[in-house]
Amino acid sequence: MRQWLSVLCCLALVAAVLGGTSQVTAQGGGSIVGEVKFSGTPPAPKVVKVNKDNQACGDEKKSEELVVGANKGIKNAVVSVVGGKGPAAKPAQKPVLDQKGCQFSPHVLVVPAGAELDIQNPDGVLHNIHTFATANPSINKAQPKFKKVMTEKFEKPEIIKVQCDAHSWMLGWIVVQAHPHYAVTDEGGAFKLDNVPAGKHKVEVWHETLGKMTQEVEVKAGAPTKVTFELAKK
Amino acid sequence: MGFVRSKFFQAVLVLAVVFLIFRFGIRPAAPWSVFTLYMFVALISVLVYVSSNRDSWRSFLAPIRSTLVDDSKLPVRFAVMVILPLLLGYYAYTQASAGIEAPAELRAIHPAPPASISFRGKTLDIQGLGNPLRKDQANFQKHVAEGGVIYVKNCMYCHGDNLDGNGHFAHAFNPPPANFTDPGTIAMLQEAFLFWRIAKGGPGLPKESTPWNSVMPGWEDRLSEEEIWKVIMYLYEATGYQPRRWETHAAVPSPLTLTLSPRGEREMRGSSPPAAEGEKFAVSSPPQGERAQVRGTPSPYLSPAGRGEAVRSGIIAAAWAQPAGDPAKGKAIYEQKCLLCHGEKGDGNGPAAPLLDPKPRDFTKGKYKIRTSASGRLPTDADLLRIISEGMPGTSMPGWKVLPERDRRHLVAYLKTFAGEAFKEAPKAADLPKEVTSSKESLARGKEMFEAIECNKCHGNAGRGDGPSMPELKDDWGNPVRPANLTKSWTFRGGASAREVATRLVTGLMGTPMPSFIDSVEKPEDVWHVANYVKSLGPEKMDFATILPVRAVQGEIPDDPAAKFWEGQPPHHFPLAGQVIADPRNFNPSVDMVTVRAVYSESEIAFHVTWDDPTPSKPDPKAKTFADQVALQFATRPGEGNERPYVLAGDGSNPVTLLRWSSEGGVGEASATGIAKITPRTGEAVKARGEAVFADGQYRLVIKRPRVGPDANDLSFPVGRFLSVAFMAWDGGAGETGPRMAFSSWYYLRLEEPGSNKPYIIPPLVVLVTAALELLVIRGARRRTHGG
Repeated sequence: MRQWLSVLCCLALVAAVLGGTSQVTAQGGGSIVGEVKFSGTPPAPKVVKVNKDNQACGDEKKSEELVVGANKGIKNAVVSVVGGKGPAAKPAQKPVLDQKGCQFSPHVLVVPAGAELDIQNPDGVLHNIHTFATANPSINKAQPKFKKVMTEKFEKPEIIKVQCDAHSWMLGWIVVQAHPHYAVTDEGGAFKLDNVPAGKHKVEVWHETLGKMTQEVEVKAGAPTKVTFELAKK
Repeated sequence: MGFVRSKFFQAVLVLAVVFLIFRFGIRPAAPWSVFTLYMFVALISVLVYVSSNRDSWRSFLAPIRSTLVDDSKLPVRFAVMVILPLLLGYYAYTQASAGIEAPAELRAIHPAPPASISFRGKTLDIQGLGNPLRKDQANFQKHVAEGGVIYVKNCMYCHGDNLDGNGHFAHAFNPPPANFTDPGTIAMLQEAFLFWRIAKGGPGLPKESTPWNSVMPGWEDRLSEEEIWKVIMYLYEATGYQPRRWETHAAVPSPLTLTLSPRGEREMRGSSPPAAEGEKFAVSSPPQGERAQVRGTPSPYLSPAGRGEAVRSGIIAAAWAQPAGDPAKGKAIYEQKCLLCHGEKGDGNGPAAPLLDPKPRDFTKGKYKIRTSASGRLPTDADLLRIISEGMPGTSMPGWKVLPERDRRHLVAYLKTFAGEAFKEAPKAADLPKEVTSSKESLARGKEMFEAIECNKCHGNAGRGDGPSMPELKDDWGNPVRPANLTKSWTFRGGASAREVATRLVTGLMGTPMPSFIDSVEKPEDVWHVANYVKSLGPEKMDFATILPVRAVQGEIPDDPAAKFWEGQPPHHFPLAGQVIADPRNFNPSVDMVTVRAVYSESEIAFHVTWDDPTPSKPDPKAKTFADQVALQFATRPGEGNERPYVLAGDGSNPVTLLRWSSEGGVGEASATGIAKITPRTGEAVKARGEAVFADGQYRLVIKRPRVGPDANDLSFPVGRFLSVAFMAWDGGAGETGPRMAFSSWYYLRLEEPGSNKPYIIPPLVVLVTAALELLVIRGARRRTHGG
């Protein structure tokens, strides 16, 4: 029995690897790697005093509106290929938006259009999921302490603000993908977009407080293309 | 069928029909005094008719006599013998036990204007004066439009969007604001008369036939001559009336007599010929009994469960039957009726918008609070029609039933065009679980769920809108919003019935922090339990008082506002309105009513005041917060008649005394001769004392004062005399201080004579006397019949 299982696993692995490579070759794609950087002196991060539910939420919260790391890299910027083609790949695991400690985590979550998403409330206090959407219906649903998981689905691509009115500092973003080519920058502001078809593309970066910026990028098959964005405070 | 031909039966039938016609056929309902007069005339006519000849009289009397005499009619006779005295006894009881009523006030409704007035130092001759702007025909529409903007920024709060005297502050005032749509008001007057009344307001009314007690301010300090003429043009244009023209022989507008009926409806009594043959007076009879119901047309405002729902289901049913409205026609109506608040582009940014809270709806986003559709979905046409028709209690949105339903449907069609493509999608109705009626179990479950789903986060533990998240709440447009005070169901925007509250829980209020709970309760029917519980948090409806009776008590009056003693005293509720007369104005007062209990002992008078305030505030200039305050206002020198000082802290010649309490300085006293001329009393002069407690979004205060002092010029509270009292309140946490406050009209205050036993003695006497008379009549009748 165990043998069969390991054989199956191996097969699955091989298939995955083959599948992966075949996709690249089929599209003749390359990748875009780069960084999103803050231009100028980054402001000191805002800290919000927690004035309710301190047991669940702690005493203060660092605002995630603008997180600038070492080398001025901006965290949580969304980089995407404008007019990307094809459906977004189904994630291996259901995307999760957690509210642990009265904070949306991840702060920016990328989900494929039409895919289900779990919203978790492990805090034992009331949260409410209040979205500010335009293409999708805006929702405002209560998630009381006993409702540990709620499932939501967003059909149309857009970037949606999420807040919780019970805890005014809580803020998050759900990026509903139109196509596969989306990435969120890490602590250092770095990102990587894989399998971008070769050719000229417009690449866009979006940040919740710094706005949008685009750049023309030429992608070569099988090679990484480097891009750097510099965003300044408006 | 012989009895049909009986004159007695016919007479009773005629009287019954007349009763039904006069009682229910006349709209607005005739005052009781007029109604009884009509009935009396009808009765006399019937009696004259039946007694016109001997046969008819005999036919009329026959059934009466037979009831009195015939042995076969014994059961009927017996029943009459019992029922009649009991009915009279009950009537005597209601009369004897009725609380005290405010004394009748004589008041001319349209007083004679002066020949000329001084307007900002310029003398204007009122006699023969016409509106100068009418000559400028080319700019007629422009003047009217500008007049509309002035109206919504100054007049709408009392006189109403519909110009019907039913603005959202109107219920706080007695006499009520003028109803311009009534044919007895501006339609009968020259524009110059309006100019005088607007420029000079209540304080400018002639000394004769006081008390006016009009809250109408003199607008000359705020509006220019041209602005007043513009707003006058708007009044005529918006109501469709023509101003009365000056006639060559008419020196003054003919005084018109209006009676303020118990419900505040006005009844016209015709006019006398022009010329000053003396003004006709009308008795503004105070409401029957001690209380008057909240006025105002939106029916959910008034009605408990049933009526609002009936209206709503009626609308829904009609929605199926009626064709959709025409947006082009809706546009024309919108521009006339809605634009001043909701804006030309439908973005909720009309000229009045900056003054309003909650803000007028922005139709461009397709986000609507009151819906029957699921969270995130657009409202149905029936939802939109309902809000247009019923208005939103507790806001400045009135019901528009004055418009024909067809027009309201056109409006629905037009509103939808503001939201672009959004309304292309068919609305998805939310499923409302099967109704659970209120019961002890349901309330217990409701309370459990209320706590589990943490309604208190925003609405507070007692539901007074004072939860910890309250100060930070914002709507989707970034404007601060207040969570509903769940104890005041008559201010619920979407109606007060359990079904409506449950629907709000299911759908949430889009665009506000109020989320949908249907996926977030343990069982779907829990929304009904919570709705039932929410309804149990406050009274079903609000009956506002018209007088403050002060009860006599023996012994010491407790100082503690939380003492059990106070719960035993009857509460009297007084509505407050925002102070929009003096700067800084307060268009959205935080405190909308005070509840007062008053008692007196041999030596003291004590007032127990309760009011809702979401936060106990501390003065903090940085946060723009001030101390919370409340004040009771008394005329310093109560006049011999019922003349009172101007309600806003008196005027130059008529000072008032304020007994006040502040969260900063406790109880104090002040003298005032105007809102900007308030002088605190210090030291010995302060005789009032008291204390306040705050819990769950509510203050309770006891304020006491010696009843009669040695100083003849000081306030005194003699028993049995009608005195005057008014109330003011400030929520410092909402930035209220100084003239930024809420205030009430003047009310009568009367110290009741100690313990009357009239209700227990008079009715039994009435019963006995009636029964004895009956026996005599029957015996007489029988003796005559059988004997003769």
